[in-house]
Parts: sequence; C-alpha cells; structure tokens
Amino acid sequence: MGNTPGAGLYIHIPFCVSKCAYCAFNSFAPAGFDTSAYLQALHAQLLRLSRHPLVEKNIFSTIFIGGGTPTIYSARQLAGLVSIALDNFHFSYPVEITVEGNPDSIKQKSLYALRRAGVNRLSIGVQSFTDDLLASLGRIHNAAQAENAIKTARKAGFADINLDLMFGLPGQKLKEWRQTLETTCRYGPEHLAVYELTVEENTPFADLAAKGKLKLPHEEIVADMAELSQRILADAGYIRYEISNFARSGYECRHNINYWQNGSYLGLGAGAVSSIADIRISNTNDPADFNKQIMAGNDGFSGAEALCREKKFRETVIMGLRMVKGISLASLRKRFNLDPREYYGDTFRRLLDNNLLEIKDGGLRLPEQAMAVANQVLAELV
Amino acid sequence: MKNIRNFSIIAHIDHGKSTLADRLIQTCGMVKDRQFKEQLLDNMDIERERGITIKSQTICLPYKAEDGKNYILNLVDTPGHVDFSYEVSRALNSCEGALLLIDASQGIEAQTLANLYLAMENDLEIIPVINKIDLPSADPETVALQIEEDLGLDSDLVQMCSAKTGEGVADILEAIVKILPPPEGDVNAPLQALIFDANYDPFRGTVISCRIINGRVKAGDRIIFMSNMAEYRVEEVGIFHLQRRPVKELQAGEVGYILAGIKTVSDTRPGDTITLKANPAAEQLPGFREIQQVVFSSIYPISTDEYENLATAMEKLKLNDAALTFQKDSSNALGFGFRCGFLGLLHLEVIQERLEREFDLPIILTVPSVCYHFYLQDGAMLEVDNPAHFPDPAGIDRTEEPFIKATILMPDRYMGTVMNLCMERRGENTNYHYPMPGRIELTCELPLAEVIYDFYDKLKSITQGYGSFDYELLDYRPSDLVKLDILVNGERVDALSQLVHRSNARARGLHACERLKEEIPRQMFKIAIQGAIGGTIISRTTISALRKDVTAKCYGGDISRKRKLLEKQKAGKKRMKTVGNVDIPQKAFLAVLKSEQT
Repeated sequence: MGNTPGAGLYIHIPFCVSKCAYCAFNSFAPAGFDTSAYLQALHAQLLRLSRHPLVEKNIFSTIFIGGGTPTIYSARQLAGLVSIALDNFHFSYPVEITVEGNPDSIKQKSLYALRRAGVNRLSIGVQSFTDDLLASLGRIHNAAQAENAIKTARKAGFADINLDLMFGLPGQKLKEWRQTLETTCRYGPEHLAVYELTVEENTPFADLAAKGKLKLPHEEIVADMAELSQRILADAGYIRYEISNFARSGYECRHNINYWQNGSYLGLGAGAVSSIADIRISNTNDPADFNKQIMAGNDGFSGAEALCREKKFRETVIMGLRMVKGISLASLRKRFNLDPREYYGDTFRRLLDNNLLEIKDGGLRLPEQAMAVANQVLAELV
Repeated sequence: MKNIRNFSIIAHIDHGKSTLADRLIQTCGMVKDRQFKEQLLDNMDIERERGITIKSQTICLPYKAEDGKNYILNLVDTPGHVDFSYEVSRALNSCEGALLLIDASQGIEAQTLANLYLAMENDLEIIPVINKIDLPSADPETVALQIEEDLGLDSDLVQMCSAKTGEGVADILEAIVKILPPPEGDVNAPLQALIFDANYDPFRGTVISCRIINGRVKAGDRIIFMSNMAEYRVEEVGIFHLQRRPVKELQAGEVGYILAGIKTVSDTRPGDTITLKANPAAEQLPGFREIQQVVFSSIYPISTDEYENLATAMEKLKLNDAALTFQKDSSNALGFGFRCGFLGLLHLEVIQERLEREFDLPIILTVPSVCYHFYLQDGAMLEVDNPAHFPDPAGIDRTEEPFIKATILMPDRYMGTVMNLCMERRGENTNYHYPMPGRIELTCELPLAEVIYDFYDKLKSITQGYGSFDYELLDYRPSDLVKLDILVNGERVDALSQLVHRSNARARGLHACERLKEEIPRQMFKIAIQGAIGGTIISRTTISALRKDVTAKCYGGDISRKRKLLEKQKAGKKRMKTVGNVDIPQKAFLAVLKSEQT
C-alpha cells in the first residue's frame, strides 16, 4: 500500500444493457442515448479539465473506468480514453489502470486490446455463482459466463483481477454463499470486493421492500455470511484491508485507497464526483444534459460543496477508519493540524475504553470486532 | 348592547369547528381570500397538525345583517378536548349563545353531548348546525331528527352548512343575529369582568381575554383580581380583530382584552372576576375554581447541561399556559428536571411538543402518574404523584386513588367489547342507556390511572373510530398499589418506575418489558430488561446484541451521501439518554404505558 498515492482519475460510463434491481448508481440503458456522442463529450471534458487551474498541478497515479458497464464500448474506444488521459494529465508511474466489466460483455479479443492500451487491472461484476440468485438480481449473466470471463481475462494476460461479490441476497442461503466463495477461491483472483446487499432508495428492490415482498435473509444469517467470508478468504490467503475489500498482499487497489484516505480525485462523465482542493464537485447526472453542457463549452458541473478544515478532518477520520490499517495520526496532524484524541475529547476516550477504537502503530483504527458495527462508531465521529 | 352577539362554537372533535370559524371570518370580510390560510384561529403548528384547538382564541366580527343594521359578533373559540373542559366552560360562560356543530355523517358524539350540557348549564341559547352536508355520506335529515328527538332541541332552528364549501354560512350569520339574544348587563354597575383566557405577549405581558359582565373598564383604571386580590393598572383595553385593536373603553356586554403589564400569568386564572379597585363589585362571578392537574410526569433534558435552557423554556411556556405547574425534580438516571402537573395526557403531549419545536429541546418525559393518597400507620396522609416518593410499604395503612366517571357514546354493536375494556381497566358501576336508537351511552366509574394513557386510543380502535369519550373526576377510592421498577442491565431506572394496582402488576411488568424491547434499539451488547417489585423480578426480556451496522460500499462518489447518513444516525443518538451504558430513546419512557397499536 503506497503511502500518499497520487490523485485518482475516475471516468464514468453511465450505461448498462439492463439495470439491476438493486442498483442505485447513475446508469441508463444505452438504447435511449447517443453513446458515441457521450464518448466525445468525455474526450472534451478530459481535455478541458486537464487545463483547469484546480487540476493542473495534480499528479495522478491511477485511472479507473467504471460504470455502469464500461465494456458496452469497444476496446478501441476505451483504449482511446486511456491514451487521451495519459497524454493530457501528469502521472507518476506505474499507473494503476482499472476497467470494470460484466461477465456477459467480456471478450478475449477486446481484453488483449485493453492490455495493449495499458489497462492492467480488470474488475468483473460477478456478484454470485448461483444462477437463480443472479436472475433475481436482474443480472443478465449466469455463473458459467462468470467463470468463463475469469478464464478469458487470465488468458488475455490480466495479472490483477478483481471480482465483485454480493451476499445477503433475497432468498440466499448460507450454503449458496459458501459455494460462491469456494468457487471464487478456486479461480484465485488477486482482489475481491465483497458487499452486503444494501437496499438503496429509488430502486426496484426498495419498492419491493416497501411492499414487504423482498425476502432478505434474517439479519443473523447475514451476519453469519459476513463472518464466513472473512474466514474463508483469510484461509485462502486474502487480507482484508477495508470493510468490504480483500486482496492478496501487494494487490490492494490504489485507486480506492485514495478515496479512503480522502485524497484528491477527478471524476469525469455524467454524475461523477471530484474532490479537488477542498471542493467536492459533482457532474450533471443525465448523460444527454451532460453532453449538451460539455458541447456548449461548460465544465459539466452541477453542484459543489466546500469542505472546511474540520469537516474534511472528520470526513477523513471516518473514511480512514474503513481501512483495517486505519489512519495515521501523524498524517492527520500534518494535513489538518488536529489530533483526534483532543478533537473528540470524551467521546473518543469512551470509544477507546469500550474497545470500539484502538491506537496501534501510530494509527487510529477500528478493532476487528468493531468492523461489523462500524457505523455505530463512525456516527460518533462524523 | 343590542347590536352585540357573543357566541361560541361547540362540537365534537373533527366535526369542523375551526373550518366553520375560518369561514365565518372570511364571510364577514375580515381577510382577503388570498391571505386565507386554513384554521386561522389555530395558530400553533401542533393545533393545525392535529386538527384540534388547544388555546382558545377570540375574534370580533363586524357584520351587516339583512335588517340593514351593523352588528358586532364576538366569536369565542373554545378548546376541543376533554382535557380542557373547564376552559371550555369559562369560555361558554362569556357567551349568550352557541352554535352546536354536528357532522352530517357522524351525528351526535360524546363530546357533542358533553358540550351541549355545558352550554345548557350556562343558560346558552343553542343553534344546532349540521356541517359537512357536501359529503357523499352526509345524512342531514337523520341528524336533524336526532337533534329534535334525542337532544330535545327545536329542529326549526337547525342550520345546514358546509364550512368547507361555504354553503349555508350566510344563513348561520343571520341566525346568530336573529336567534341569539343580545348580552345584558349594567354599564353603570361596578365592574365585573370574567376572565376566560390569557395569553402572553413578550412585549406587553399577559393579554387577558375577558367578557365584561357589568360596568366598564379603560386604560388607567386600577383593577383587582378577586380570587387573589392581585392589583394592576390597566395599560390598554381593546377588541380582537385578527390582531389586537385598542379601544377607549370596554363596556358591559363586550368581549375584549385587557393589558396591565402582568408578568405572572398565574395571577390571571380563567373563571376569575376582575373588578375596579375604586368601586369594587360586591361579589365574584360564580363558577370559579382552581385549575386541577390530574396527570403528573417529570421532564428532563436529554443532555444534562441543557437544564438551564429547560428551566427558561418552562418559565416561558408557563406564561402562556396557566394550567401547567412544575417544580424541581431530580433522578439518579436523568439528573435534574421538573415535576409537572398537566390537565390530561393531551396537555402533556402538547407541552412536550412545544418544548421540542419552539425551544429545540430534546427532552424525556417519565412515565405519567396520577396523584395517590397514602394513609400511613402514624395517621399521616401523603399525596404522591411521583413513584420516587412511594412510601415504605411497611408503613402504609391504606391507599386511595382517584376515580373518574367516563361517558362513552357508541353504536350499540360495540357494547360488548367496550364493556370488556372497562372491566379490564377495573371499571365499576357500569350503566348504559340508549339516548337514541342504535346508540348506547355507557357510563362507568374507572380509576383515572387506568385511563390516562391509552384508554382513548384503545376505545377508538375497538370501536373503529365510532366510540367517543368524555370524563369527569369523581372521588378517591380504596386501592392496593405496588411500585413497579424497571431494571436495564441490572440497573434500576427510576424514571421508568410506575405505581400500579397489585392485581395488574405482573401484566404491566411484562407489558413494560416488551414495549421497551421494541423501543430500545439493539446495541453492541446484550441488554436484559426486568420488571421488579421490591426485590422480586416479575418479568424479563432480552434485547440481543447488534451484530452488524456497517455501510458496505463507500467510494469517492458516495462520501457526501454516506456522511449525511451517519450525521442522521448521530442526530438520532443525541435523542437518546444513556443510562448505565444503554442508550434509551426518548419515546421509550412514554411507551411503557402505551399499548402496541399507538
């Protein structure tokens, strides 16, 4: 885990062939949009922001093309984005370049092309190896396609593969989750993001839940699933380095660590968010509006929030505590000239006394048993 | 005086009293249509939201009648809830007539009767008004028949209207002028002014609403309150338009206000008589009585360092609410607070909401109690309204608790279930009769303690909303009380203690434990909740430990949103009281007495 990674560059592809029932991300079916116009708008925003006074001085070290489903674009189109980014921003090498894709849209030929363009990390939205569950999530791939996608990626030479997995799915049994984890370990990806299903507002799942028709596993079972993942993945040699993220040593995702360290990042594309120079800026959500704004010569921004020192300090603490290693007290002092022990006073001491926080190796962190109830602690520190 | 009419509108809750008042105001041209907002007279948020009137308001309506003469119609609004029946009676006392408002689809309800009786006791002329005739379910002919046959009122007087659409409202104004008598009184007699309400104006002090029965009063006069002989100098007199409007003098027959720089609202008691120091009246107007608090509960700030703010807020509320009493109290679990007396539970909830809304003070109310009488073996009698002062059981000779007479009006099909409810609540001497075909009026003598919390809610639910309820205090009767304590993780929480009848103790203990289990959120450790009498545990529940509370995904685009969620969670925590190491939410303290549905 590199200490202060450089800034991150995020490029959002807001299109998915079909929208999953749990998804609250900014994504749309491509049919209703001019996807090539959107690609042009992305190019334009890349060029425009690379010369933006707030951005110019930043040194970047990661690129992440996420979505949505970036692989709705051809490898050549994605490679084009990567090379424009590399040519127009300052980077410190080696650059971690991730592309997200869904199992149904991963083809060997395009993977070669991506590799050649410098993409060195592939993130595959597997979610589960149980076909019924995939169908009920509204995913358009099945378990066999997922397994093929991993094999294909390996053949194409990807040596850093992430799989996204989900548990706590409607109707999911502990046994099925164990099978998914075991299948995962057989393929030995370098990185795993293991999420509990969150029912987000304004999703089909939220509607079902409101009607009492979403049959989620009992909370105790979900807690068991979380514990099971930790056990199985630890046995298979994965190190948990964030609440939901596991990696083989040296394969932690630098792009995401930068988020958890509340570092600087630039988000390109519809709905993407930037955090630069203590301002958090969000781009226009709707891809068509976004295109229009960019083509009219605007930045494409729709909102901004200034982060005062203390707010940003608290935010940095709560984000940093998501990581197992926690957050270094020295870096907090350096960045904010604040010490959480003094800043939070009695609250902090109480959390320490109740073993809900610990200070170890100069880092402030959540003890292992507090990870599962992290919000209880973070809500005291926010 | 011939051109004045003083009247009230009396009605069962929800029969449209405030809407009709608004419509009368509008029809008399007091407000432009575009200034019109619903329920002009209900100006507290709580009143608008709950659709009830808590503080009565008065308004003076100028009206040009069909006979070509100009009239002054004083509408004295009244609170619409059983907790406030004394206030209602004082307001009625200042009128010569009343509009008895009845919902065209609901017909006559318990409060319709209770209010009608009150009005009759005060010798008021009654105009029955059938409201909501625009509703599809309206059955005005049947209701008119009920009025004639069951209430014994003259059906020729009945007015039909829809306060909502305005239909029939003009006729009501004419009826007020034609049917209601003008006030009587002797302008030259010594001043007798009846106080029926008081409000507080931060700049001018107490605003006394009063009806001048005899005599006259003007700025500069020295006045005396006859109940306590407090003396003040009148600064201003006036009448109520939408704002106060000063006048030179108020005379017999008129309704208006008096400002006299009064800072202690407790000096102005509804029902009291104001007279002039120079030429005092021989006697007080009849009907005055001290306000009687029947429900007691302690108020604590959630954060102990808010005590001073709470004290200030209580003083301010008291200025506007003569019925609220309080004194300092303290609790091991909750620190310093106030023991308060209320007219009833609605009054208690109103105070709670006002403290939170108007003063932004998160507070905890302890389990409400009535006032018990303990006769000790040494002959002394202790009045106890706070479980903390429960005497040593060994020293108690006998105990008494207050009883009420409840009047419940309902369709006869609910009689069985309602009688069961009364029996469950230790009801005695249940009687019933049929004031009208298909409807039963049930009277029952019940311990007040059994009624204060959820009786009304229960009644509403088992009668599907058709049952209505009114009560009056009767007397004290022998009882057998024990103190039920609640232990949270082994620690007794004094604020959750309650005095209960021995026969109910086990059931109440179990109920309290179960309700607390529902209200206390899971925490990071297991929580045991126990009910105990003395050293004996009589009930127990366990809240299992929280195993997960974590946000799965949080990346760059999510930070702001997730942070806001955590901030919300933090605000929720602030509304909880930490007892020992357990966070107990505010509403848990009241929930102990409530039934599940509410």
